[in-house]
Amino acid sequence: MCIRCELSRRSLLVGGGAAAAALATGVAAARIPPNSMVPLIGPGYRPTDRDELGMWAQMVRVEEEISGSNLLFKDPALNLYLQRLIGKVGGPAAQDMRIYVARIPEFNAVMFPTGFTVIFSGLLLRMRNEAQLAGVIAHESGHFLRKHQIRQWRDMRTKTDVLAVLAMGAGVAGGAAGVYTGDLARLAELGTILSLLKYNRTLEAEADAMGLKLIAEAGLRPMAMSETWDQLIGELDESARYRRKKRERRINLFETHPSPDSRRKELKISAAEVTVPGKLYDDGRARYLEAIAPIRQMLLDDQVKLNDPGASQYIVNTLAIDGWNGLLRFHEAEIWRLRNRAGDDARAALGYAAAVGYPDAPPDAWRWHGVMLQKAGRIPEARAAYARYLQMAPNAPDAPFIRQLLQ
Amino acid sequence: MRRTSIAIGAAALALSACVQTKQYADVQFTPPAGDYKLLVMRPDVTVGSVTAGGMVERRADWTETARANLLAALKAQQAGRGGNALILEKRDGLPGVDAETIAELERLHYAVGSSIALHKYSGRYLPTKRGKGLDWTLGEDAVALGRKSGMDYALFLYAEDSFASSGRVALQVLGIAGCAVGFCAPNIGGGGQFAYASLVDLRTGEVVWFNVLQTGSQIAGIKMGDIRTADGAATMVERLLGRMKPGKDIRRQMKARP
Repeated sequence: MCIRCELSRRSLLVGGGAAAAALATGVAAARIPPNSMVPLIGPGYRPTDRDELGMWAQMVRVEEEISGSNLLFKDPALNLYLQRLIGKVGGPAAQDMRIYVARIPEFNAVMFPTGFTVIFSGLLLRMRNEAQLAGVIAHESGHFLRKHQIRQWRDMRTKTDVLAVLAMGAGVAGGAAGVYTGDLARLAELGTILSLLKYNRTLEAEADAMGLKLIAEAGLRPMAMSETWDQLIGELDESARYRRKKRERRINLFETHPSPDSRRKELKISAAEVTVPGKLYDDGRARYLEAIAPIRQMLLDDQVKLNDPGASQYIVNTLAIDGWNGLLRFHEAEIWRLRNRAGDDARAALGYAAAVGYPDAPPDAWRWHGVMLQKAGRIPEARAAYARYLQMAPNAPDAPFIRQLLQ
Repeated sequence: MRRTSIAIGAAALALSACVQTKQYADVQFTPPAGDYKLLVMRPDVTVGSVTAGGMVERRADWTETARANLLAALKAQQAGRGGNALILEKRDGLPGVDAETIAELERLHYAVGSSIALHKYSGRYLPTKRGKGLDWTLGEDAVALGRKSGMDYALFLYAEDSFASSGRVALQVLGIAGCAVGFCAPNIGGGGQFAYASLVDLRTGEVVWFNVLQTGSQIAGIKMGDIRTADGAATMVERLLGRMKPGKDIRRQMKARP
């Protein structure tokens, strides 16, 4: 139940023979109108059914392990902000859900069956405002409110049961008739897998619809959710283009999630549907930036070090739509420096020079500005930049080295 | 053709139920005896039911019962050897040791245990560890825990058990009946136990003994022990921990002595 998981489809599709099965399951699913989505659980929900009790019991240790993981951001202010945000868009379970942020530079979020969610730091990096982040969190809340995990488990159980009985029955019948039915059974297996994936896509579409309804009710701008997908699609395109490839357009049939393109399209239509004319919707941009301010540089650093210049550049440019600053300029220069193609050093030098023109330039911008000036033989200016670096970061690991340079 | 498949079916029926254990020990290992203190680290127990389709559905009530039974059986078994077992139920359950220390050690053991499983049980044997018995350690962290807690050994325990649901058994019946018409599926499997125990000497930090237990029948519906009952739990503890063998060097010394 994650916003965009990459489950191993290959492992699911051992059998092959997709074309034949496609006829059996059908492809397109209809859009789910947000207003048709109602939460299936109330506040303080506890399971009573045997299978769900088992699932919950299994999650106790999982949550204990996750909540104690050293990948989590422990910053109390940030955690409080996120807990409040899920409280705003969590529907009836707002007070029951827990939210954790893990330092993983990927665009993803996961909801577990017992109502705790893990947000990846790469998501916080990419969101331009609170409405976008709330959209993702509300999508995850939607999984919990609509009991998706247990519904999916039950779907899988029923379908594998039916498959096992059918395969066995067909085998016995075939044996009696003297026909080998192995291939037919294999085909049925593929049909089962495809129908499982289809169910999964339906649940994702439900979570999108439920999430949209929740953020609109909380007064956050509904269109923000489809903008998240605009950004993701743009990023994937850029990342692929840099590697001289095309964004993978996977065959929808084999996906656990609907394709980003169709999700964006449906979210747009649905957002227009839930928007109440005349009502004021908020983006919460200032609140959001304030909350992530202490970790924003780390988020950008983690992304830049992924060595995916196409994606990194797209992200920096997208964030800069709301205005350039020293931090963004510095990281733009970092992307160039690390990319290291012909002419990139000159671009990076210009980038650092631009970054230090902003009051929020990080100390490292001054350091690299100094390095670039020194390389260009502009020694007095380089010394001034180094001096500024030392002034801002007197305890930096390389401070003694830089001091030595200045002597 | 039909006759051969029936013969194969019959052979499969005969071979299809088994209990397996495989233990490794440090070459210098002597099974703990006398008045020793054993810390049992948050035993991980799971009991589930195998659906007709072959998936395992965890059962919270069965798990609770099995866990209580296993812990009682473990205490009794250790007392029989003269040892005193302290069972750690929660990470913060050990006075003077904080939860984070226990969590770190559990994670470390998870990594080391996975390495033992890979290189001792999954066939990826390491030439450098050949003939060295069990040669893994948790290092200083484990020694520090021993010093702080006054315990001699730590035992990491994992146990799972599953039982074929009525749907799975019905499917099995159909599979065996099919043998009569030449479509033989006598061993679709369903249910069985898997457990491992890992003993760490807290004075040296070394993993001194490791055992894996697997029981199962390839025929759904046949049980090879049931840890939901007190007897079944005692059987599992006995199979897993009851026959601890000393390490190679110690065995050689014992043999040399008349």
